[in-house]
Amino acid sequence: MSAPSSMVFIIDDDASVRDAIHTLLSSIGLLSEVFESAEEFLHARRPSVPSCLVLDIRLPGVNGLDFQDELEQAGVRIPIIFMTAHGDIPMALRAMKGGAVEFLTKPFQKQQLMAAIHQALDSDCVVREREKELSSLRSRFETLTRREREVLNLVVNGLLNKQIAAQLGVSEVTVKAHRSQAMQRMQAGSLAELVRMTEKLKSLPQRHIY
Amino acid sequence: MTVYDTCAGEITTTVSPSFEQAYPPAPNLLDNRISGKGNDSCHFPNAQRTTESRFLTAIRKCTLTVLLVASALGVTALLQRELPYPFLFLFFAAVMTSAWFGGRTAGLLAVLLSTLAVDYFFVPPFYSFRISATEVTYFLVFVVCAVVASWVSSSKRKSEEALKQIRNQLELRVAERTAELQISNTELRRSEHQLRLLTEVMPQQIWSARPNGSVDYCNQRLLEYVARTMDQMHGNRLMETVHPEGRDSFGQAWQSALSSGMPLEGEWRVRGAGGHYRWFFIRAVPLRDAHGTTLRWYGTNTDIDDHKNAEQALARTQSELAHLSRVLTMGELAASIAHEVNQPLTAVVTYGGACMEWLSSNPPNVEQAKHAVGRIIKDGSRAGAVLHRIRAMFKKETPAKEWLDINEVIHELAAFLRDKFTAHHIVWRTDLAPSLPKVKGDRIQLQQVVLNLVMNSIDALERATSGPKELAISSRKETETGIVVRIEDSGVGLSPDIAAEIFNPFFTTKAQGIGMGLSISRSIVEAHHGRLWVTPRPRGGAIFQFSIPSAHA
Repeated sequence: MSAPSSMVFIIDDDASVRDAIHTLLSSIGLLSEVFESAEEFLHARRPSVPSCLVLDIRLPGVNGLDFQDELEQAGVRIPIIFMTAHGDIPMALRAMKGGAVEFLTKPFQKQQLMAAIHQALDSDCVVREREKELSSLRSRFETLTRREREVLNLVVNGLLNKQIAAQLGVSEVTVKAHRSQAMQRMQAGSLAELVRMTEKLKSLPQRHIY
Repeated sequence: MTVYDTCAGEITTTVSPSFEQAYPPAPNLLDNRISGKGNDSCHFPNAQRTTESRFLTAIRKCTLTVLLVASALGVTALLQRELPYPFLFLFFAAVMTSAWFGGRTAGLLAVLLSTLAVDYFFVPPFYSFRISATEVTYFLVFVVCAVVASWVSSSKRKSEEALKQIRNQLELRVAERTAELQISNTELRRSEHQLRLLTEVMPQQIWSARPNGSVDYCNQRLLEYVARTMDQMHGNRLMETVHPEGRDSFGQAWQSALSSGMPLEGEWRVRGAGGHYRWFFIRAVPLRDAHGTTLRWYGTNTDIDDHKNAEQALARTQSELAHLSRVLTMGELAASIAHEVNQPLTAVVTYGGACMEWLSSNPPNVEQAKHAVGRIIKDGSRAGAVLHRIRAMFKKETPAKEWLDINEVIHELAAFLRDKFTAHHIVWRTDLAPSLPKVKGDRIQLQQVVLNLVMNSIDALERATSGPKELAISSRKETETGIVVRIEDSGVGLSPDIAAEIFNPFFTTKAQGIGMGLSISRSIVEAHHGRLWVTPRPRGGAIFQFSIPSAHA
């Protein structure tokens, strides 16, 4: 069996509800996996495909909103769709502030759930694309030598080869060589492209760059 | 003679004064007789006075003797002038009279005096105490005759006295017996009268029946209440006065009492004079002879209408209070209940969506659609069942007892509580003993008891600051008391003074409680002939338990 294109995780302590959602999703060709508790979800192996979490707020042992914080702190980034039988505004506010995709009140319509799931999967897809691109950029950046990185940094700051050579105390030819080597290693077609790449890299935590 | 109030329970009885006239208190004849028995000196209490009295009597007797002998002497002296020889018979008369009235001593004194007088005056030589030889025989005969006369007279007197005394004693005995008889006769008549009066005026209707159940006597109070004459009550017509709804049950109970010989007991409505019915406690017991054969049946009808009404009013108030408390508790559980209803509804709606998808695909996936519909039915029913239970808890109905499984009662409650436990992060478990004996009780009321106890525990857990929040509901069989349900929590627990007051009405430690939950729970348990109590939990917290006897019908 080939790798799934997407995956929906469902956590609800009520078997009827989680099975119903599972059935609904499979009726429209979406793969899903059900869990009775947050604990169970944490211990499960999750495929690296666009995915989202459909989470009941009231869970035995832990509150869904607290679980959202837990995931955030553990660095598990997954779009969450909350469900509750008796939600209130403060609850919804907290959920949305924590980055939830949707806050559904039970019982909800199929369209509401599907829209939320599609939105969540799309956003996860985008995030995953971006992450993939970033990680490729990073691995390319990591192939550069220390001198090449210095030159690259000054280039994207708009300095001319002559100025760079003066600042680094090397010849202009050496700068040119380093510059073309760095462009090649970063697979940048133009200076503009190189600038965009560096901007993206800067969005990553600093330790990845220096 | 007697006035009856037609309203049973209030009796106004007037006994006319004629009774006291007809049966006067028995005269104290005995006392009279005893006091009249002796008029002699022995009645003097003082010994000195007795001696004085005896002395006086002796003086009197001597005087009488002297006077009699003197009279005889005088008369004989007078007669001597007329007669040729002395007429001494008068001295005999004096001796006999003295002996008669004065006794033997007085008689001998008279003999002595007479002898001296005769010797001095009438035996020659005259006027001298000497006796001539020729006269000795004559004189001795006189003395002997006088002594004999004295003895005869005193003995005769003595025997007559004895006879008289015996007669008196006999008379006294007769009088005593007569008085006793008279007293007991009066007492008998009095007690008979009082018994009759009691039967007629006591605030109970009394009747009796022959061993076959045929009524042959009704007291006045019963006749007046049912407004019938005795003729209209003979035989089996007592039944006609019982309310038509209870007539069959009365007839059956009476027949079974007659055939088994066991007492008849029960509460029935009996028709009064105005056509209104009042509740009566009817009881009849058999009177048996030495061989155990029933001779007669004696029955009483006691008016318990006011008591019954008060009892019903109390039950109504209690039921209303219980309902009010139940509604308040259910209000506290609104969020939990909403969750419990929403869960199956969410599943229904979601399965419905899935079903639509299966049917819309080309070709339609009927198998999957069928499966989804099956689940819709299941979860729809589940939501319905929850709603049914909720509606039952909100319903205001008079308690109705049925045979039920207490585990089922606890299980049904879980619907209201599951979400509440989750929301309060309470770790809860149930430990229900299998195959418990069924108990007779009102399902809703028993659920209310468990619910109240659990809510109480949740509150205690909420106020506990540390440690895990644990709550356990268990049931067990108890040989003596039937079944016991136990609710245990690791909450704040109870201090002894709170434990003593916790079942009192309006006692509460909650900020928003009205303090009726536990009080109502206890009255419900007691109405089921059970007991509700609390003990501290060894590791902190409290254990509430209630028992319901299983054998009690």
